Amino acid sequence: MTDTSMTMHPVLSARNVSLGFDGTTILAGVDLTLHPQEFVAVVGASGVGKSTLLRALAGLLAPQSGRVEIPAAITPDTRAWSMVFQAPRLFPWRRVRGNVELGLEGLSLSKAERRRRALEPLALVGLDEFAERWPHTLSGGQQQRVGIARALAVQPRVLFMDEPFSALDAITRRRLQQELVELRRRTEAAIVFITHDIEEAVLLADRVMVLGNGEMDQPARVVETLEVDMPLDDRRDHPEFAPLVQRVETIIGNH
Amino acid sequence: MMVVMTRAQRTLYSVLGLIGFLLFWELSLRSGLLPGSLVPLPSSIPGVLWLELLDGIWFDVVRSSLSHYSVGVLLGSTLGIAVGISAALLPRFNAAHAWLARLLRPIPPLAWIPFAIIWFGINPSAAAFIISIGVFWINYFASYSAVHSIDPGYDEVARAFGQQRFLARLTKVSLPAAAPGILSGLRAGLGQGWMTVVAAELFGIPGIGQRMMEASSLLATDIVVVYMLTIAALYATFDFLFMVVQRRLLRWQS
Ligand SMILES: Nc1ncnc2c1ncn2[C@@H]1O[C@H](COP(=O)(O)OP(=O)(O)OP(=O)(O)O)[C@@H](O)[C@H]1O
Ligand SMILES: [Mg+2]
Repeated sequence: MTDTSMTMHPVLSARNVSLGFDGTTILAGVDLTLHPQEFVAVVGASGVGKSTLLRALAGLLAPQSGRVEIPAAITPDTRAWSMVFQAPRLFPWRRVRGNVELGLEGLSLSKAERRRRALEPLALVGLDEFAERWPHTLSGGQQQRVGIARALAVQPRVLFMDEPFSALDAITRRRLQQELVELRRRTEAAIVFITHDIEEAVLLADRVMVLGNGEMDQPARVVETLEVDMPLDDRRDHPEFAPLVQRVETIIGNH
Repeated sequence: MMVVMTRAQRTLYSVLGLIGFLLFWELSLRSGLLPGSLVPLPSSIPGVLWLELLDGIWFDVVRSSLSHYSVGVLLGSTLGIAVGISAALLPRFNAAHAWLARLLRPIPPLAWIPFAIIWFGINPSAAAFIISIGVFWINYFASYSAVHSIDPGYDEVARAFGQQRFLARLTKVSLPAAAPGILSGLRAGLGQGWMTVVAAELFGIPGIGQRMMEASSLLATDIVVVYMLTIAALYATFDFLFMVVQRRLLRWQS
């Protein structure tokens, strides 16, 4: 953590958050503070509660206990947060551009500005040519990229991403990982990024939060949070990269 | 073995089937197999239609029926869709009206005729009212189940992108997502409207139904058939036009 981020106000703070459904708790005791430009990756086995945690952090799901705070957006043409869902979840009745404009509706933007703000992230994910297409004419991976553009369009202070690249082919995936690294340099946005790909987590994040199952019938919890202390460029070639990946794998294997 | 037919072949068989049926009908009458007092000769129908057109009777009764029909369908559809969507979106309203709906639903539209006459008198409003009842229920159930079965994931997306207010959710998620179901309800209602239009006019309100009653009391079966075909043609026209609009509105579907 740098000195500036210590003095800045957090864009997300979660205190002792527990979540679950119908009285049963699936995940307990989560603490998380995020400052601008920070990137946290959340890893853990399937079904451990990663997507549920993300929905609770975003305020889409009320936690059973604890509290989550996300301060409001700074300017009236942006939003406090946005989300890339695990499935693309585009509105099939809107064209691609209409889908990306969804979050921009209700912000103080003219029609022309809204259009520009939608086309920009579409170009970033390589789909500006597809702006006037219907979603059902796109491949699954293309739809997922539209979902990413939709989340970027509102220029959020916190960007929640739920396994955004898992449906993509290896080449597109690499390209978008690189784009995300670039994006971090250009924006103030903090990112919470769920993945089951540990290399991806270590490649992109400042911190990797590992969720693990508790002892018998106990809810899952954060078993460890690791700092990733490597420069963002060419991390794969960094001598600490492989050992750190190995370490996270071991931690997950033990839970 | 499955018989695979091209479109042209299917059309050909359909035309042949229809001509065959008419021919069989015509010949059985001419040969005396069927008594002429029961059904008219198919070949006499065009001439009778021509006479009805010349008299202006055809236009009068069709215009009159169309006006009951459009008022009834418009009223029934609007209310049915509004109540159906509200019930699906507002749990309290849904619970409050559930038993009432269950009580009223099984009552056939024609059972409302006594009340229609008491409330409106023997006039066009009474016919429109009766027509609207059947149309209402069809649209009500179609809209309710269309909105009720929307993937809750869409609502979550709307909330995630700042569209959580009721009106925004209604116009940006509920209505477009339920549009296919709502539109097929509307289309079924357009058909249902014609079913009741004749019955609603039988008790003396001017229109196609009344003309048919008149004709049947004179045993003018040819006139009855002219109006049966008129109804079929009007229904087909409305249904076709609606389908064009429907396809246009749902062009986002795969
Ligand atoms: N709406 C719900 N009602 C009840 N239980 C749910 C609901 N959503 C999720 N769960 C349960 O909560 C647990 C965590 O689900 P979640 O989707 O958060 O897992 P995940 O870690 O994201 O898994 P994956 O990696 O497969 O996406 C699962 O056991 C799941 O069955
Ligand atoms: Mg998940």
